[in-house]
Amino acid sequence: MIRVLASLGRAGIGAVGGVGRAGVLLVAMFAGLWELLKRPLLLVEQVYSVGTLTMVIIAVSGLFVGMALGLQGFYILSQFGAEATLGVMVSASLVRELGPVLTALLFAGRAGSALTAEIGLMKATEQLAGLEMMAVNPIRRVLTPRLLAGVIALPLLAALFSALGVLGGWYVGVGLLGVDDGTFWAQMQAKVDWYDDVINGLIKAAVFGFACTWIAVYQGYDCVPTSEGVSRATTRTVVHSALAVLGLNVVLTALMFGN
Amino acid sequence: MSTAPDEVLVRIRGLRFLRGSRVIFDGVDMDIPRGKVTAIMGPSGTGKTTLLKLIGGQLRPDAGTVEVDGQDVHKLSTDALYALRMRMGMLFQSGALLTDLSVFDNVAFPLREHTGLTESMIRKLVLLKLEAVGLRGARELMPAELSGGMARRVALARAVALDPMMIMYDEPFTGQDPISMGVLVKLIRQLNDAARLTSVMVSHDVAEAGSIADHVYILSGGKVVDQGLAADLAQHGSDWTRQFLKGSPDGPVPFHYQARPLVDDLLERTA
Ligand SMILES: Nc1ncnc2c1ncn2[C@@H]1O[C@H](COP(=O)(O)OP(=O)(O)O)[C@@H](O)[C@H]1O
Ligand SMILES: [Mg+2]
Repeated sequence: MIRVLASLGRAGIGAVGGVGRAGVLLVAMFAGLWELLKRPLLLVEQVYSVGTLTMVIIAVSGLFVGMALGLQGFYILSQFGAEATLGVMVSASLVRELGPVLTALLFAGRAGSALTAEIGLMKATEQLAGLEMMAVNPIRRVLTPRLLAGVIALPLLAALFSALGVLGGWYVGVGLLGVDDGTFWAQMQAKVDWYDDVINGLIKAAVFGFACTWIAVYQGYDCVPTSEGVSRATTRTVVHSALAVLGLNVVLTALMFGN
Repeated sequence: MSTAPDEVLVRIRGLRFLRGSRVIFDGVDMDIPRGKVTAIMGPSGTGKTTLLKLIGGQLRPDAGTVEVDGQDVHKLSTDALYALRMRMGMLFQSGALLTDLSVFDNVAFPLREHTGLTESMIRKLVLLKLEAVGLRGARELMPAELSGGMARRVALARAVALDPMMIMYDEPFTGQDPISMGVLVKLIRQLNDAARLTSVMVSHDVAEAGSIADHVYILSGGKVVDQGLAADLAQHGSDWTRQFLKGSPDGPVPFHYQARPLVDDLLERTA
């Protein structure tokens, strides 16, 4: 019993310590934003690298999710004779929820884990210490551009996911199941609001991008610098990111669409 | 030691450092003379790498001071510490090259980060530095394509790219074949004398380190156990020093990690 309590206590202290170190790291990364403004190329490089890693998987997933939505939506809506609103249903659920959330989950699995492994290996092979001894701050030079790149890239990727998802839904609904083409788009234009739906969805995506990348760079920077340590950190990145995204999504949905 | 105060580049006083509750250094005093090659030797695990990290300001001592060129490393602001580090090169045991950059870009890295030089100037400097380590022809290679010895020479070229006042070598000779060992020994000496550097080398490779060092410190059990001119120590050092330098298994330096008698371990029944 005592032992259980003790190990619970130790886990608790470990978790609090981890959050504290992640917070300290975040402040240190913010301190590098100013320098980054003077060297935008570093940022462009990272956005590009995240983009090339994730674009294909996100485009394909978007298409498939949209097609499944089109099918399900059609079966349910047609029971009420409301299949004309299929476009609204598909696009609203994509831009508000599925686009940002699924993009973030895929991003964590593909780009986040790669980020953790990259930084963890740089630590294990003394590259980070080497930077420090060359009078280059590794947090500002390596971590800050990657954090900001995640915040920028995720909304773009989420937009791509939703766009292809709508196309997938359109193909199934209009192309295969015979929903009227004009109504599909007209209803969508009339009911999906630019600010309420699209912008809020993109804000969600940016928040998820921030959370996932913060977790990924922290796990890499804080890992035990051995091959086993790096692989554990990579797993933690995916698990913690998924939980963070799903949890944050509830909060953001309540705030944005609650009334 | 008979060096005048301004002849000392690195001055360490009363250095104490702990890893958790383990004492790594306990009252270490050292004076590293300017313009010379100083070797710091000791068995593996005595804290030689740790000492270099303390000098470079990557670790903080629990007590005592480390002064480099008159500045207390651990009292400097971050900016001042980074400015000081630009004048200190460090050669890591692994080389620590940036794996996503070519040999050329690795050597160019500190120049691009810290100087406003044009690309054509940087190109010339990088080629000169690579020429000095004999790897000008390897400039297009990636670090993964280099042998261990080559990687260390590239790292050396990078470490001297900004023309530092001192350079620290962490075990420069381990894992080198006899030829690249000889090349490195020569290079270190040449760099030291031609560029008027101060070299600090930590090593357990007694023969090689001893052969180029002007001054030797011997560390053990968290203390400096002996020091002096390289040539003198092998003759007149303590029993401990002579055993260490000759590498004989018998003597005051135990080969075995502390343990109970072998028989007890062998006869123990596993419950
Ligand atoms: N990051 C670390 N965390 C805890 N202990 C360490 C760490 N690095 C080194 N040590 C311990 O400190 C001691 C000195 O290490 P080190 O300076 O690498 O020795 P050397 O370079 O002389 O072989 C070793 O016993 C090692 O186990
Ligand atoms: Mg070492």
